[in-house]
Amino acid sequence: MFVLLRQLHSTRKSARVTRPARRLSLAVRHVDAGSCNACEHELGATANLFYDLSCHGITITASPRHADVLLITGAITRRMVTPLLSAYRAMPEPRLVAALGNCAMGLGVLGDDRDLAGPLEQLLPVDIRIPGCPPTPDQIIQALVSSNLAGQAITSA
Amino acid sequence: MGLMTSRPRVTPPNMVPRTPASEAGTASSPRPSTTLVQITASSWREAHAAAIHSGGRFAGLYAVGPDDTTGNNPANRDRTGTTIRSVFAFGDQVKVLSARAVPTQAVEMRRAGTSVAGTSGIGRTLPSIVDILPAAAWDEREAHDLYEVDFPGHVPMRPLISHSDDLGSWTVPVVGAGTHQVAVGPIHAGVIESGHFRFHVVGERVLHLDLRLFYNHRGLERAAVGAPLDTGLAIIQRACGACAVSNTLAFTQACEEVLGLWPDAALSTQRTILVELERLYNHLNDIGAMCAGIGFAPGTMAFAALKERAQRLIGRLAGHRFMFGTVHIAKGAFSPTRGETREARLELLSIKEQSARSWREVLFNTSVQNRVTAVGILDHASAERFGAVGPAARASGIPLDTRSHSPRLDYGELQPPSPVDPTGDVAARMAVRAAELETTLALLDALLARDLHDAAAGAITEGSPIGVGVVESPRGATTCIVESDGTTIQRLHLRTASYANWPAVAHATAGNLLPDFPLVNKSFELCYACSDR
Ligand code: SF4
Repeated sequence: MFVLLRQLHSTRKSARVTRPARRLSLAVRHVDAGSCNACEHELGATANLFYDLSCHGITITASPRHADVLLITGAITRRMVTPLLSAYRAMPEPRLVAALGNCAMGLGVLGDDRDLAGPLEQLLPVDIRIPGCPPTPDQIIQALVSSNLAGQAITSA
Repeated sequence: MGLMTSRPRVTPPNMVPRTPASEAGTASSPRPSTTLVQITASSWREAHAAAIHSGGRFAGLYAVGPDDTTGNNPANRDRTGTTIRSVFAFGDQVKVLSARAVPTQAVEMRRAGTSVAGTSGIGRTLPSIVDILPAAAWDEREAHDLYEVDFPGHVPMRPLISHSDDLGSWTVPVVGAGTHQVAVGPIHAGVIESGHFRFHVVGERVLHLDLRLFYNHRGLERAAVGAPLDTGLAIIQRACGACAVSNTLAFTQACEEVLGLWPDAALSTQRTILVELERLYNHLNDIGAMCAGIGFAPGTMAFAALKERAQRLIGRLAGHRFMFGTVHIAKGAFSPTRGETREARLELLSIKEQSARSWREVLFNTSVQNRVTAVGILDHASAERFGAVGPAARASGIPLDTRSHSPRLDYGELQPPSPVDPTGDVAARMAVRAAELETTLALLDALLARDLHDAAAGAITEGSPIGVGVVESPRGATTCIVESDGTTIQRLHLRTASYANWPAVAHATAGNLLPDFPLVNKSFELCYACSDR
């Protein structure tokens, strides 16, 4: 265990994550609505020692009831529409919706129309767009942090 | 030095480097591999029994023909009736059994008393083979849901891809004092793909687990029908991010068989590097995920950091952290410079040292080992029965690694590591991955020293109307079938290792405590996206 902790310490030091000068808090709930899982991998990677999402004041919450942001990945499948909308409805207001990745933004979606529900924009009001296939962990953090610092809609919605 | 194999139950991986002869140029000699055998519906079962008897490994069953909304797709229009095909691998040779399903009305309804869900006027029928081949259960359910094929003998026929509101139609009835159900998902607590689990429990003990996946079903296979081969590649590319190389490679190999092409030495080396890089970051991820499953945070963080290092290296080498766009039909798109490969080999060496050190910490941590031993057991007989593949199968004592017979790839005389004490529990699945990491790192080091330039595929045969590609993905054997005239796709079917292994997860969970499910699940670490498609 000691070896591991020492190793983690040196990795974290070498990663040189810059702590933001001003921190707010943002709780994010993620919903996969038909992604290929690469967007999830990159979202998960934001928590590793090289990016350290939590030092920006951003956390991923287990329940939409504690979330400020609903972060959605994937082409929206018909089978995920109901769970997605119930997660949205469970959130306290004000709330933000983020589209993570090209699929969620409705760009270059592949699949059969009979199984896809159409663009996310038609289902929910999208506030934050994070393009990429998949966006890198840096880009994800950047987008969340800037929306957070701008105080976007969280206070005004 | 066998750094990664300090767990005493695993033999050191035995990697025999390629012989100098093969180094010189020609990849392993090309040979045709897929044969299509037309049989009648009445000999369908016998043919399967014979294929199993002669040592064939079942690699998928799929329907060809008008799907549930006949006529929407022009490629389906002139097709009458539905054909079912069943794929068997015999080493590197593939045999596809094919039989025409008979229109339901023409079949004598001898199924008195059993109601077949979803049977409609245009139904088609073929005898079920699930009693002799339980591994085909999901495949038959899929063909039933999407192509309205009835399989008499498959009772009850539960929906798989169709989501019914009637709980009774897709769950196993579990009754008795104190039994109750715990429903989880489709949205999970962490950053996880969508899928629904219904646990039947008594107290904390799981009696049975019903899976309902396919929330991410995007109709990818249907979208590919009538499309050019390159569009098919883009579709398969997005089936699953974490298996992007394996899936596209299986697709590409199938296409090359259709086109009658064979990769040259440089192309097969390039592709082998890509698929091993995919295994590298996935295995690092999966060991970390198992640590997360038991709340061993230092292990989780250490392996997550290693995975990040591997992906950064991959990003530098291949231009994309998941290697999207690196696999193409009949050509290579991965040719790092000498300097880049030299730098990559140094970084891999460092990853190897650090992962070995981290793995030792996990292996010799008593509280970790207590939590992973004798949990989530998939016994040998069940693994065989469910047709399990990959690390999960190997941890249960099935020495199946399709890398040892992949003539289109550059594995030389690879002898994959085999566990000595394949107990089939979480500990065994963890140890198998740790041992395989070492093999993969050794392979990568040897392959990256080669010349990767001027890769191409050359014509060897006239081509064939059906091609089958099999690739050992990080999760096991993945099969892709392409039926095509050489330009457009008539049928595309992807049966990934995750699809093959999901039923085994449900089986291995029964009998364990409910709170152990995340651990059991993570020890298989299957994808939802590539099962759901
Ligand atoms: S945007 Fe790209 S990486 Fe993200 S889910 Fe879609 S296909 Fe996958």
